Amino acid sequence: MIVCVAVVGHQNNPLYIQSFTDADDALKLHHIVHCSLDVVDERVNNPKKSGPPLNETFLGLLYPTENYKVYGYLTNTKVKFILVTTNLDVRDADVRNFFRRFHAAYVDAVSNPFHVPGKKITSRTFAERVSTIVKSFGLSSAG
Amino acid sequence: MGREVSESCIDSLLTEMVSTYCNRFYANKPELAARRIEAIGYQVGHQLSERYTLERPRFSDHLEAIKFICKDFWSVLFKKQIDNLKTNHRGTFVLQDNRFRWLTRMSIDLSPKNGASEEASIMADNKGVQSMHLYFPCGIIRGALSNLGIPCAVSADISNLPACSFVVRIKA
Repeated sequence: MIVCVAVVGHQNNPLYIQSFTDADDALKLHHIVHCSLDVVDERVNNPKKSGPPLNETFLGLLYPTENYKVYGYLTNTKVKFILVTTNLDVRDADVRNFFRRFHAAYVDAVSNPFHVPGKKITSRTFAERVSTIVKSFGLSSAG
Repeated sequence: MGREVSESCIDSLLTEMVSTYCNRFYANKPELAARRIEAIGYQVGHQLSERYTLERPRFSDHLEAIKFICKDFWSVLFKKQIDNLKTNHRGTFVLQDNRFRWLTRMSIDLSPKNGASEEASIMADNKGVQSMHLYFPCGIIRGALSNLGIPCAVSADISNLPACSFVVRIKA
């Protein structure tokens, strides 16, 4: 189950952060997202030989904490997407699929002529699309 | 994908935009009009580059990004690729389009403005008008490259129509 998604700009400024659970402390989730930004930078600047190739957008599992798994995705325009989930058996294909749909929703939100680049995304349509994508995460894998 | 618009609508919009900014908003200040038009192009290029790099792996260096502009980006915008790319390997690139789509419908006004019948002054008047129309595509290129992490300055050169060259200077 996804607990938090975040969009972070290329200067590490938050563009969109949304939690999907009332149980956990929102601040803790924000903190996890913030810490994962360092991991993203490190992954991109020091590619491990065994890791994914340097120019892939999907960064994979960034780091597992005791309750959560954090996945990252870096676009060509240096925008980072962070996904925090409590699922323990998440499939790679599901996460890639999620990021693909999320990226498409992000592109549509940014193409809004009234959106100021660098400021937070305030579009309600984007929020609704993200909720839909989050709800259908992992459902296709059942059965 | 989305809905489509006819190309003549785009042509009319661009023509009207340049005409409005030059003749109404900033009537006697062509530099300001040029800057505003270029700024509009910057925002458009910014958003378009976000959309057209959607499924692509990240670029490894500046040359890859410029090649993306020359091939995929140009094909989406103008239905053809850049015909010639030159570089001095020190941060300057020249993108040459032998038949720039947005200039192909522009007529050349052959009647001399001030009674002078010199070829040169006719060409100079026309160059002034045509160069105003090039600020928008320059802005698009600058916006797209900036979004890919490459700050630059873009200018256009129309010494032999209908070919048009865009000079991209990457800021160090």
